[in-house]
Amino acid sequence: MNLWRLEWLRLVRTKRWIALVGVYVFFGLLGPLTARYLAEILERFGGGVEVTFPPPVPADGMIQYISNVSQMGLLVAVVVAAGSLGFDAKPEMGVFLRTRVSEVWDILVPRLIVTFLAIAASFVLGALAAWYETVVLIGSLPVGGTLAGIGYGLLYLALVVAVVAAAASRAKSVLSTVLITILVLLVMPIIGVVEAVGEWLPSHLVGALADIPAGAGIGDFVPAAGVTVVFVGLSLWLAVRWSAAREL
Amino acid sequence: MIVRTSQLRKDYGSTVALRNVDLQVPSGSVYGLVGPNGAGKTTLLGVLAGLRRPTSGTVEIDAEWTKVAVLPDTPQFDAWLTGREVVDLARSLTDASVPASRVDEVLEQAGLADAARRTVGGYSRGMLQRLGVASTVVGRPTLLMLDEPSSALDPAGRREVLDLVARLRGEATVIFSSHILGDVQEVCDTVGILRAGELLFQGPINRLLVGSAVPTYRLRMRPPSEAAVSALRDAPWVRSIERVSGEEVRIFVESVEAAEKHLAAALAGTDVRIVSFGPEAATLEQVFLELTS
Repeated sequence: MNLWRLEWLRLVRTKRWIALVGVYVFFGLLGPLTARYLAEILERFGGGVEVTFPPPVPADGMIQYISNVSQMGLLVAVVVAAGSLGFDAKPEMGVFLRTRVSEVWDILVPRLIVTFLAIAASFVLGALAAWYETVVLIGSLPVGGTLAGIGYGLLYLALVVAVVAAAASRAKSVLSTVLITILVLLVMPIIGVVEAVGEWLPSHLVGALADIPAGAGIGDFVPAAGVTVVFVGLSLWLAVRWSAAREL
Repeated sequence: MIVRTSQLRKDYGSTVALRNVDLQVPSGSVYGLVGPNGAGKTTLLGVLAGLRRPTSGTVEIDAEWTKVAVLPDTPQFDAWLTGREVVDLARSLTDASVPASRVDEVLEQAGLADAARRTVGGYSRGMLQRLGVASTVVGRPTLLMLDEPSSALDPAGRREVLDLVARLRGEATVIFSSHILGDVQEVCDTVGILRAGELLFQGPINRLLVGSAVPTYRLRMRPPSEAAVSALRDAPWVRSIERVSGEEVRIFVESVEAAEKHLAAALAGTDVRIVSFGPEAATLEQVFLELTS
């Protein structure tokens, strides 16, 4: 038994992986389906009201997927990450680990990496499901652009995990870790309303998987990706610094 | 000394948790750190374990950090791990060169061999405490710090934990904090008394019990016994007399020597029938109350 296996067991035995994979794959399958049959669905439940939509285009499949997972998927990801990274939330558990490692980094690394890989794998599986179904139901997507969109999405999720780590190093409970993280993640799109600033913010990456197939350039997201990399580093630095300074 | 602190102070805002504590823990001892709730025991152990930073003062620990183990008062573990996995994790983090067979050995010693493959979410409070002890000893530490390991357990659980601590004597130095003085008196050979962050006394427990309390004798007589009580009350070497029952009194004397010299003669001068008399050993509780009141 070691700290890497501990994190693996946390995912498997607590069924957290099912929550992650379930929510991303569910929305991956639901998104293109909704995009393809939205008019029919609204007609059936609209009490005879005829609704006219333009014919769906392939990008709509990814737009639906992103609009769903950027809320529900993100919430599940934050809760799962907070449950793993908030190792001091129960001080007795923190004492067990902290008195047996030389640096707090030794505890953080497996939790950061295993949690990120689980969230990333779920996001990619959901995106692949959405991609496949979009191709089947609506039409093909540009391979390069879609892969780039997935890459930008992964970069944003790395930031989410890093922000959770920083929040957990200050918060006294898993719930407060979740709330602090959501607050930080919500502030970014609000600031991003200012157009000149928005394209530099990490939150700009959330829509990359939808925007690139819809016609945006891959390079349009490079400034936000650069800022995100800096923010990831900053968040991890804060997480280590604050965790090391924390008293139990 | 395996642990030595100098002028150790810890403040939480305007609250002083530790006041210039000079702790000295002899190597190989079972050191009882006693004090009422809020005396600073947990804070002191936290500072020694590196979990809290002192405001001022120094801490010297003459042991490798991998050989220092800490057990909090209510140990908790991930509920979905088995008992064996918890101890094995403690082993691999503390000293991976310790053979895996050591895990089964300490689980057996802790009386958890049968429950080792069950998840700890189903463990009782006493089992969790014993699992905590097993996790602290698996890496063969040279210094153990146990924070109130028996305070919240039922009598059977308390007995099991005390037996586990007693077995550690000779294998490691143990710092055992508790406010249950009977437990400390039973398993510790050295004691430190904390009150409001101040170390009032530290040293061998025998020296504390003999040297600090008012020497006391217990006397049993057949009634009527008023004549004996009256004669003793007038003796200059008697501080006071407390009637325990109709047949028994406690005599607080100036010194053991004076009582040994005069008590038998004083009783012989009366017609009272004496059943027995002898010195009463002070309990840690008496000494503690005397020091802290």
